[in-house]
Amino acid sequence: MGHIIEVRHLHKVFGELEVLRDISFTVSEGEVVCVIGPSGSGKSTLLRCLNRLEETQGGEIEVLGHKLSEVKDINRYREDIGMVFQQFNLFPNYSVLENLTLAPVMLKKMSKEAAVAKAEELLAVVGLSEKRDVFPVTLSGGQKQRVAIARALAMNPKVMLFDEPTSALDPEMVGEVLDVMKGLAQEGMTMVVVTHEMGFAREVADRVVFMEDGFIVEESSPAEMFQNPKSDRCREFLKSVL
Amino acid sequence: MIAYFSMFGQYLPRLLEGLRLTMVIAICGILIAVVLGIIICILSISGKSVLVKAANLYITIIRGIPLMILALFLYFGVIKNALPLLVSASLILGLNASAYMAEIFRAGIQAIDYGQMEAARSLGLSYMQTMRKIILPQAVKIMIPSLMNQFITSLKDTAILSAISVNELTMCAKTIIARNYKAFEIYSYAAIIYIIIITALTLLSRRVEQRLSYDKR
Repeated sequence: MGHIIEVRHLHKVFGELEVLRDISFTVSEGEVVCVIGPSGSGKSTLLRCLNRLEETQGGEIEVLGHKLSEVKDINRYREDIGMVFQQFNLFPNYSVLENLTLAPVMLKKMSKEAAVAKAEELLAVVGLSEKRDVFPVTLSGGQKQRVAIARALAMNPKVMLFDEPTSALDPEMVGEVLDVMKGLAQEGMTMVVVTHEMGFAREVADRVVFMEDGFIVEESSPAEMFQNPKSDRCREFLKSVL
Repeated sequence: MIAYFSMFGQYLPRLLEGLRLTMVIAICGILIAVVLGIIICILSISGKSVLVKAANLYITIIRGIPLMILALFLYFGVIKNALPLLVSASLILGLNASAYMAEIFRAGIQAIDYGQMEAARSLGLSYMQTMRKIILPQAVKIMIPSLMNQFITSLKDTAILSAISVNELTMCAKTIIARNYKAFEIYSYAAIIYIIIITALTLLSRRVEQRLSYDKR
């Protein structure tokens, strides 16, 4: 199994603030990695660096064999990396179906017909077939996030990044989104998930990464992380959230 | 009362002549303002410090000058006889409105949540593709009331161009009054014509707004 993502000695600063300090980690094909940690620890920033929504100041990121520093066409690079945001960010001026078909058709990945077929298939997977022609404003938060996941999948990405996908949801809608993500993990999608859902991390992750103050403090299997954290900081964090 | 309205009928053709010119100048002026406004707006959202400062300077200067001074200065001080009067008038009005246009465009674009840009870019769309398909369609919808407002303002501002002897509606009224001294009647006729046109435009803009709406449930 090759590495889909390889991060070496990554540094990132916002002005004076050092957000990521010497981050190194890898993600293998088919692996689900959950990144946990207190807010402000840099976990979302790390995720956003992977598809260059954030510029980095040092180190190297390699995704799907492409070194980010050598990438000429950032748009092509991003096509293979799906991203799901905390705030969904659906396009309100397009129908649900158009949200899914817009990018594949525009970037000539698929014909219009193929994109529609694929979109209908994905909407069935996330359980929203009957919503294909409505506008995003009519959807609930959980439905919006499921559409956002389907929209990312419509590009046939090889890896999916989730940036706190359930943090903006009402509690009763968290489950439906996590279920979709679980299904995706079971199908073998490579996933990096920044999350506060410890239950999800414990159940679905192959590996859990604990971050604090811009460092990766600890990295292990969920069983080990949750039962037997090595560092004090990790133990304290888990105690406060569990 | 009957005399008032029969006099209205008598002078209506002359005033409508003036209205025609008012509309022509307002439309040409707004078109010029849109083009200039887009250019200035692109500078001010470019993120390049020099360009942003240049755009801000332009906006500060234009907004700081009363239209009357701008008209007198440009027409008598700069253009003189180099351009036909109508072209000059449209240019002056367009220049004046361009600063406000640029601000309307900028505010409209920046009102769109940055997450829209990030979501589209993360799918692999380029900056220009994102602007064209995602940001601008949403921004334009937000801009319509302000754009319509600016058009109405500019339409009324054409009255100031009587200062450089453009024969628009206000100038026509003045010319008539210079001969018959009926200031109350003639100016009120002009006012009525302005009100009718501007109300019609307002209703039109509401229709456009409703048709573009996509967030109705």
